[in-house]
Amino acid sequence: MADRLPMVDKLWFILPEVALFLGVVVIFIMGLSHSKRVRDMLPMITCLSLAVAFGLTWWVYEGSRGQTLLSVNPNLMLMPMVGKYVKMSACAIGIILAMVSVGSVDRRLEAAVAAGHLPFDPIRANRGEFYAFFLLSLMGVMLTCNANDLIWLFLALELTSLPTYIMVAISRPPRVAQEAAVKYFFLGAMATAIFLYGFALLYGSTGTMILTEMQRAFAAQAKADVVNSFGIIGMILAMLGICFKIAAAPMHFYAADVYEGAAAPVTAFLAFVPKTAGMVAIILLLTTLGWSGHPSTGLPEPIMTTLWMIAVLTMTLGNLGALLQRSVKRILAYSSIAHSGYMLIGVIAGPANNGINAVLFYLLVYGIMNTAAFAVLAALERRGQEIETMEDLAGLRIKHPGMAVVMAIASGSLLGVPPLLGFFAKLYLFIAGIQAGQIVLVVIAGLNTAISAWYYLGLVTLPIMAKPSAQSETIVRSPFPWPRIAGIVTAVAVVVLPLFLGPLIRASQAATTPASLTTGVTISK
Amino acid sequence: MTEAVQLSLGSGWLAAVDAARSVIAGPSWAGWILWLPLISLVLCGVCAALKIHTKLPAWITVGSLAISFVVIVALYMSYRQPMEIPLLDWFNLNWRSNDGQAGSFVAGFAFYVDKLTLLWMLFVTGLGTLIALYASEYMEPDVKRGYARFFAGISVFLFAMSCLVLADNLVMLYLGWEGVGFASYWLIGYYYTRPSAVAAAKKAFIVNRIGDLGLALGIWLIYYNFGTVEYANAQGTGLFQILASGSYKHEAGGWSIQAIPFLLMLGAFGKSAQIPLYVWLPDAMEGPTPVSALIHAATMVTAGVYLLARMLPVMELHPAALPTVAWIGGLTALLAATIGMAQYDIKRIWAYSTVSQLGFMFVGVGVLTTYGAAFHVFTHAFFKAVLFLTGGAVMHGFAGQLDIRKISGLRHMPGWQITAWTMLVGCLCLAGFPLSSGFFSKDEILAQVFAVHRPWLGFMLLFTALLTAYYTFRVWFRVCAGPVSYEMGEEHHGHGDDHHHGKADTGHKAPPRHAPPAHVAHQPHPPRFAINFVLVVITVGAIISTFSGSWVMDKVSHSSAAVLHAADSHEHHPGWVPWLAGTIAVAGIVVAWHFHLASRKSADALRARLLANPLTRWLPTAMENKWYVDEFYEWMIVTPLWIFAHALYLFDRYVIDLLFVDGVARLPKWMGRSFQPLQNGVLQSYAVLMAGGVGLAILLVVVLMPHLRPWLIGFFGGGG
Repeated sequence: MADRLPMVDKLWFILPEVALFLGVVVIFIMGLSHSKRVRDMLPMITCLSLAVAFGLTWWVYEGSRGQTLLSVNPNLMLMPMVGKYVKMSACAIGIILAMVSVGSVDRRLEAAVAAGHLPFDPIRANRGEFYAFFLLSLMGVMLTCNANDLIWLFLALELTSLPTYIMVAISRPPRVAQEAAVKYFFLGAMATAIFLYGFALLYGSTGTMILTEMQRAFAAQAKADVVNSFGIIGMILAMLGICFKIAAAPMHFYAADVYEGAAAPVTAFLAFVPKTAGMVAIILLLTTLGWSGHPSTGLPEPIMTTLWMIAVLTMTLGNLGALLQRSVKRILAYSSIAHSGYMLIGVIAGPANNGINAVLFYLLVYGIMNTAAFAVLAALERRGQEIETMEDLAGLRIKHPGMAVVMAIASGSLLGVPPLLGFFAKLYLFIAGIQAGQIVLVVIAGLNTAISAWYYLGLVTLPIMAKPSAQSETIVRSPFPWPRIAGIVTAVAVVVLPLFLGPLIRASQAATTPASLTTGVTISK
Repeated sequence: MTEAVQLSLGSGWLAAVDAARSVIAGPSWAGWILWLPLISLVLCGVCAALKIHTKLPAWITVGSLAISFVVIVALYMSYRQPMEIPLLDWFNLNWRSNDGQAGSFVAGFAFYVDKLTLLWMLFVTGLGTLIALYASEYMEPDVKRGYARFFAGISVFLFAMSCLVLADNLVMLYLGWEGVGFASYWLIGYYYTRPSAVAAAKKAFIVNRIGDLGLALGIWLIYYNFGTVEYANAQGTGLFQILASGSYKHEAGGWSIQAIPFLLMLGAFGKSAQIPLYVWLPDAMEGPTPVSALIHAATMVTAGVYLLARMLPVMELHPAALPTVAWIGGLTALLAATIGMAQYDIKRIWAYSTVSQLGFMFVGVGVLTTYGAAFHVFTHAFFKAVLFLTGGAVMHGFAGQLDIRKISGLRHMPGWQITAWTMLVGCLCLAGFPLSSGFFSKDEILAQVFAVHRPWLGFMLLFTALLTAYYTFRVWFRVCAGPVSYEMGEEHHGHGDDHHHGKADTGHKAPPRHAPPAHVAHQPHPPRFAINFVLVVITVGAIISTFSGSWVMDKVSHSSAAVLHAADSHEHHPGWVPWLAGTIAVAGIVVAWHFHLASRKSADALRARLLANPLTRWLPTAMENKWYVDEFYEWMIVTPLWIFAHALYLFDRYVIDLLFVDGVARLPKWMGRSFQPLQNGVLQSYAVLMAGGVGLAILLVVVLMPHLRPWLIGFFGGGG
């Protein structure tokens, strides 16, 4: 292939990440400042760098240089345009997540400093670290999209996860959060070991680290009708390990405990950012095997079966787990597990049935509606504590009508009530599944949706229709307006974006098209 | 546009689909027609949220509707040929299934503008603006209560109606169709504390649902058979283009094609209140009068006529479809006129007359004079708006009094001249008095009926015209002429609110709200500027619309509703029809004059005589009770449904709920509980479970897979 110093060419596509990194450096330094005004600017700097990265992504991919690079060097990346879609979604939702997180870290410390009880001590302040790690983790997601070899993919995935361990630990007053962080860290390390082992087997069976070459190697093996079984096992191990990132069975156990332990904004972050990275990684890895050339969806049966089992187990265990919970965060944690299961339907369906773009679209939609739900939790509090249980939400409309409506819209969308955004996302996934002939899987997903209605409808009706409980009477707004604003923005997006389905769907289609996959998709216009 | 393409079907009728042939891109600023009412809706919502108790919502609505009207006029001025104006991508799905078949479902948020569209939009937005202005005064007692809600409803309506009329595809039309239904429900139930208003709103919604089901099925069948829901598009694959080219297999479609016109018809009959779905419209008068004028007389109820006119090429897919429309229209016209004769409530009379006149319009569509139908829609929109608005002025001034037996001599009362005389113009038009606008438009339909040799239908309509003239002038002679006498109504409509003092021109001192209402001296207060201004403007419009025949004809004949039928030319219209119709109108007025002005006693005497005779007793009773149609529906449909529903309820309660639902509902919880021990919060056990899961997966793949292979291929290989 044309040897045009591919690394240099690749650097062009990580300009947005470079911008984020600059933001990280600035934030690290500013977080140590003795001036409260400077420290309070951190979320703004975060949003600003994300906005810059958002613009840069568009420019990098759509500009003439990026187009030329992609056309002269098709082996630059496995699925080049996924980067544009995922990076832009990650930046946009990152901005919202940053808004939700305003005021969650270091609140007591700042209050004590402001009241003069304590001198400001940079060693004890965590805000700088928090926002820096926030950006680093998003950087990891964005780098995942550009991965064209296993090492890059591994590093990008770990760059996504490692900061989140720390974010969980520093998001709340020590005891609860630290337990969650430790669990998260150890189990995460174990999952990493599993997928690293899988990567090693993949390398062993194809003799290359480069994904595009691996794709050719697998194609050659498939042509000779002998796909190396180490390759298959390596792929399964890699997938299972990455299932930790997307909180899919059997690696989902940590989710409920960790999500509950972290502060609401961090939980929202965990539910979107590592999940996106993991989904992209799974899609990239499976693309090397290819969906093409097989009678059904084309993946080898062992992988197909494993994915199928993972999908069914994930959505079922997620929804069943959520039924018994009284804690809103635990419910949303289990719902996050269930949504990963739904998304795997698209992965199984494959690009020929519009499955991959359905997954990408679902990721974006899930990011929006899930953040809306968590924004409500972040925007309200009782005596400085986050609200937790369903009872806290009862009759929210009386005192906090806006947040009650946001919660209802977010839950309705998570359930998939037409005409909210979540409905269309789920519809595209299910259509992809049906087109791929996965009727049984879609029926199971439908049953699961029905089960999930139990708790989602609880989240819709409790804030709107129930009488206020003694607990919910004492709930007040948090002193920071930004989580509220984020909640309202995302809820409006959930209602309004269905009007712009066409462009959104086309964007997700464009993300998967010019890649080396056989897609049956024709792009209109 | 000049080349008319003829489509010949089994019926031998001809339709032109010329306009759809060449479509150009239109100006995108036309989108403001839609966005303005939407903005107005949002602003009204903001006003409600901020508890703004002024007339601000009214001015916002009137302003945005007026601009919207201006945009329409600008679009009209710049119109050269049919236009396609894409606004947003809505549904744009293209796919290729695995066997290589390409499919698509395209329904953009886009306008299709031809002359028919412009005609409809001109009077919809024009009258919308004027009636919103009228409502700004009419609704003022509610400034503290539902003022913003009312104008938000008007904005929703205008948005939805514009969607409906401007849509370039049936899905967007359906959006508007449901939207106007929703707005209508919203506004009929505006006085939501009044049980009758709530019941009327529900009735309207439910009856419309039956029609909407027909429309939805029709649209689906159109997509199923023709693969598109667009009227026309640049690729030439729009519905009208397919019909014009005849490139589909008419016979092959069988029932699924032939059912389309009947399903669309059902939709039209629901929205436009025709037999058997007309019963909601008279009850819809529970809404505020401007709503009755705008939605339930001038604009929304003509949506059915618009649908059938727009879909005229589709309506010819079955030869019996249009005659059915004509007969149903004719029967509705007659039935509603007979009921209207015997009512005492002004708004109800106008409501039945609306049903009756809509019947005339459907006859027009049915006998293929879409021009006549559209002309009648156009003139009717003006004169019926005048009639409703004058009725509303009376209601507003006499505290809700609408009984024609209790108000008399309005034209002699100070300040009521404009109301009385504009009402007279409206009545003349409705009665079809020679040389009035209603005379010309109704004549167009009547003449066509005789021209296509349907004399029975024709004479039935002429008889209906006689009844129309009679009941119309029954109202005018009772209310506006004769000696001055009146009885105030029961409503106090909030004039005691403290925001209202200081307005000297209301002409009376309002009683405090908590005072006992019955015996407080309560004087009628004549309408003020906004109402009078709007009355005069619309009356002038009604008079001008007399001369709009050729203009309307130009609009209709250059649209998809154009009819190229030999009998549609004036040469074939029998010359005696206008003379007879004019005579009949005058005769009806004279009869009304005799019974309701010259000797009012004789009317009561006649009624008493009819009641006294056992042979004729049923006639006035049945007419006053609306031929017992509501009771019949109650007995035939509602009661059996109620019984059925209760049986289902019992079944649901005791069999489904107890046996299945509770059981099934417990199952997931029980299963969840059985998994709960796994989720014990201990790090080590999570790690073991994860490792175990991985181990199981590998075991499955390595050990079990070879044995399960054939089964799995059967399981997964089914698709493709």
